[in-house]
Amino acid sequence: MKRFLKNAKALSPVLSNVLLMLIAVAGMSIAIAASYVITGNLHDTMGERFIVEDVWFTTGEIAIYIRNTGKVSISIAAVYVNHTSQSFTALIMEIGGHGWLNVTYAWSANMVYHINIVSSRGTQVVDYYRSPT
Amino acid sequence: MWTIIGHRLRQNKRGASTVIAVVLSLVIIVVIVSNVVLWSYEMNQLDWERMNENITITGVTRVTNSSWFVAQSEYTVNEGSHISGTYEDTQSAEEGLWETFKERQPPVKLDLNDTFIIDLSTWPLTYIQTIEIRLRYRASDSEERWYLEAYNWATEGCSDDGFNSTVGHMPTTEWHYYAVNLTNQWRSYVRDDGTVYVKFHDEGPDSPPNQTTIDIDFLGVRAVIDGTRFTFKNEGSVTLHMVSLWIINSTLHQRCDIDVIVNSAETYSYIRADISLTSGSYRVKVVTERGNKAVYSVEV
Repeated sequence: MKRFLKNAKALSPVLSNVLLMLIAVAGMSIAIAASYVITGNLHDTMGERFIVEDVWFTTGEIAIYIRNTGKVSISIAAVYVNHTSQSFTALIMEIGGHGWLNVTYAWSANMVYHINIVSSRGTQVVDYYRSPT
Repeated sequence: MWTIIGHRLRQNKRGASTVIAVVLSLVIIVVIVSNVVLWSYEMNQLDWERMNENITITGVTRVTNSSWFVAQSEYTVNEGSHISGTYEDTQSAEEGLWETFKERQPPVKLDLNDTFIIDLSTWPLTYIQTIEIRLRYRASDSEERWYLEAYNWATEGCSDDGFNSTVGHMPTTEWHYYAVNLTNQWRSYVRDDGTVYVKFHDEGPDSPPNQTTIDIDFLGVRAVIDGTRFTFKNEGSVTLHMVSLWIINSTLHQRCDIDVIVNSAETYSYIRADISLTSGSYRVKVVTERGNKAVYSVEV
């Protein structure tokens, strides 16, 4: 140990190597973390599936029953009725989950409505529905 | 050869870091790509399976009673004797098979009973309106009346209290149906697990003594309900798992959780004792776990 401390000639190459190793390890860690985040998002987006089981026009409201048929949990981020964003009750569904999405909307009888449901990851389910007479 | 390569690598270290960096980068790229490709493959399979599903509803009908629940063990003969046949011969009517019993020696009497179990998983007690007991039998003479009773779990004895008919039945030498309805008193005669003890006996000692022989072709118990039978047909190439059933009319969208599996190319009858279709027009919708739907319109 004494010899090692007295002989300082090879210290700078050792330090530089250690520093380079640390930088390399940090760089690789950042790269792996970034790839994990990127593929994780892609993974979730690809695994998202949901369907509309039923649409029920009730007083001042359109109730939409949604089922998560995908492989990730889903959160509904937006609902558009005739291309206009509407307010709705929050709905988060686990894998295989299902529930009512109540959209506040003053609908008219015997009219066709274009309803677009958008998840937080951007998946959309779009269809036309006719209101009852 | 490997020794030479190893020696050269140890001598010339100038490209080693580049090689290591490239290899590590390649490993990361392979991990990312394989992750995405495998997940994509899995989701493609899910979509492919969904596309191969083909479910249809072929019928929706009102159901007013359950199937018959018949004897699953030999009758206990309390008075009289067993002559021929087995309890299995009493499980279905009009098949040319029956079980025969004979009254005992004086005092001439016949008294037998058996256990009948209602399948409560399909016919829950909550939705049963009453119970029916039906007997198909004939006697060697028509000199006395015959009675159907059941064990009353409340009073702990066999009786026909509350039955729609307590006068018994006068047989002939021809086959006859004798049926009783337990009216709104049925719950006293059905144990919580669906068990019903049914007793069949004669009027009492014959006078003059005449040993009557009784042939029982059928004896069964059934529940009277107001339910609905749904018939599903799987016309696809994959097994279906149905998870949701909708009954929709102009005023109500009723949803039920279901757990029905239908094999490929099979038809399945699904009975719900808790769904009653009163008069009107309905849309029935069924949803599979993979997200396919089938719809059926019915007018009741």
